[in-house]
Amino acid sequence: MNMTPERFAQLVEIHGSRPERWPADERIAAEAFRLADHQAQALGDAHARLESLLDALPVPAMPGLEQRVLQRAANLTRDSLLDRALDWLLPHSDRLLAWIWRPALVACLPLICGIYMANFFSFGIPGQELAWEEELSLLALNDYAESAE
Amino acid sequence: MTDDEGLMLAIQAGDAKAYEAAIRKYLKSISHFAFRMLGNSKDTEDITQETFLRLWTHADSWQSDKASVSTWLHRITHNLCIDYLRKDKSSISSEYEDEHEGSDRPADAPEKTQQLEALRQALEGLPERQRTAIVLSHYQGFSNKEVALIMDISVDALESILARARRSLKAQLKQ
Repeated sequence: MNMTPERFAQLVEIHGSRPERWPADERIAAEAFRLADHQAQALGDAHARLESLLDALPVPAMPGLEQRVLQRAANLTRDSLLDRALDWLLPHSDRLLAWIWRPALVACLPLICGIYMANFFSFGIPGQELAWEEELSLLALNDYAESAE
Repeated sequence: MTDDEGLMLAIQAGDAKAYEAAIRKYLKSISHFAFRMLGNSKDTEDITQETFLRLWTHADSWQSDKASVSTWLHRITHNLCIDYLRKDKSSISSEYEDEHEGSDRPADAPEKTQQLEALRQALEGLPERQRTAIVLSHYQGFSNKEVALIMDISVDALESILARARRSLKAQLKQ
């Protein structure tokens, strides 16, 4: 491939001065052009200086950043009781499904509470034992009526 | 299956250890990218925290055939930085100078210090997309295709942005 001054300038402006970043199919021609042409050499050197200055701009150390990010991650991944219950109920569900189920479970809570409370309180309704005694005495009456006949 | 795919599958399954491993693997790269975009440690930490929060909460949206984990995370960071810069440009401040004063690096020659200062100002003065392109291409070492993916633009558009950015930096250093 023929290399022109314009194409070489484009290559350096797009990919920088390091030949390993240039497109493979133009690399050999561009390197040869750089060696042969003074302007290309100067342009390549100017970009190399710019890149070396860019490399010299440091990023400050951020002490404790890793620790803080990991701490937040640990808080995030520590499952709540509800999460564990959901995982138990829906072991292979994805997160979205689990989030849909969460309100459904919350909506079921009053029903579960109602059943639980009804088990303990009679609310004026005669208990099962009394009903059973009544049934026995009714059966006894029936027997008596049959034998009287 | 690559290491990254394994790591992401484990994170998608809710594996906290895999999540920690991913944080350790990508923290430096992500925090440096955020710092070079924002120029100060406080906002860098916020954006870094948010990026890794999304790694956990949005792990399901990563697709191995579309982007590497690194590209995907940089894209998240890029979007967060852009949102931040567009919301509150006035709060951007640079800590490069403070860091020079407090660092243990040997002092640069005065001429180089001046050039570095000029370069820092030139970088901060670049339009947002040009700065992003230079940071991702030069500092983060991504290929043009990956940078285009992160910035959600075509490779041709990226190459035009990169050429303008390098021309602009070179011209400002000459002054």
